[in-house]
Amino acid sequence: MVRCLAMLNIVYLLIPLIAGIMFGYLLRSKKQTNLSKVTFGAIIALIFSLGFSIGSNKELLDSMPSVGLNALIILSLTVFFSFVFVKMARKMVKIK
Amino acid sequence: MIKYIIIALTIGAVVGYLNNNFGNPAAGGFVSDYLFNFSLILLLFVMGLAFGADKEAMSKMRKAGLKVLVVPFSIAFGSILGGLVGGLILGIPVFASMAVSAGFGWYTLAGPLVGQLFGVGFGALGFTVNFLRELLTIATISVAVKIDKYVPIAFGGATTMDTTLPVIVRYCGSEALITAFSSGFTLSLIAPFIITALATFA
Repeated sequence: MVRCLAMLNIVYLLIPLIAGIMFGYLLRSKKQTNLSKVTFGAIIALIFSLGFSIGSNKELLDSMPSVGLNALIILSLTVFFSFVFVKMARKMVKIK
Repeated sequence: MIKYIIIALTIGAVVGYLNNNFGNPAAGGFVSDYLFNFSLILLLFVMGLAFGADKEAMSKMRKAGLKVLVVPFSIAFGSILGGLVGGLILGIPVFASMAVSAGFGWYTLAGPLVGQLFGVGFGALGFTVNFLRELLTIATISVAVKIDKYVPIAFGGATTMDTTLPVIVRYCGSEALITAFSSGFTLSLIAPFIITALATFA
């Protein structure tokens, strides 16, 4: 069930992105309008609702203190090695 | 920018907590589902628009080609190795700690799925590690981007296709859009399979 929902989630994010790229491509020669205010407002709304779901997720809040230290150790190693591997891979295949 | 993001996140968490405990939890679903999805879809559209209109970004993307896939797979290997080392240091079952790391920041997936496969205790760990990964990506972005343009993408893991994408594009530029999105997309796609596969070895 969780997995099924997860796949659906991924697909519906592609639609607005591809539609945006196509519109942007078509409007290329037109005068550019500044959308930074819209983006800013939408980012704030998105981050607010992200915080909201975290705050209302009782399971998440309850589990945090009991696993805190282990979580911090695993997290630091996870992001550290992710970074090291990306750095190494970039050197090997020369991605700019 | 980062100041407003942290403030919005904090206020959101407090309001969500208060609503869930003293308000109307059912109505809260409106914020966490509709507002979240609406702003996300709007953002993806606007970011796609900026990318499509940007001639340089498009040609850079074409040059990169399939090389963009190198980034997510490096992140996947690095994350799982991090989980392995973490498990060895802490003396906990390594397949469980690797599965926790293989959530790649997607805590709503990693929490329930790891919990289901490895037990409630590891589910809690999966929740926390991956939630903190998302938080870390947002909180450190202004510093991380100075080290390397790809650091925020490596930190973000699977979250770089949605929640952390707008922040990354803001700091790393429009040409980071496809790298970040495709990286997050690939990691989101493989996360459930890797977690399940790790459970079969345990």
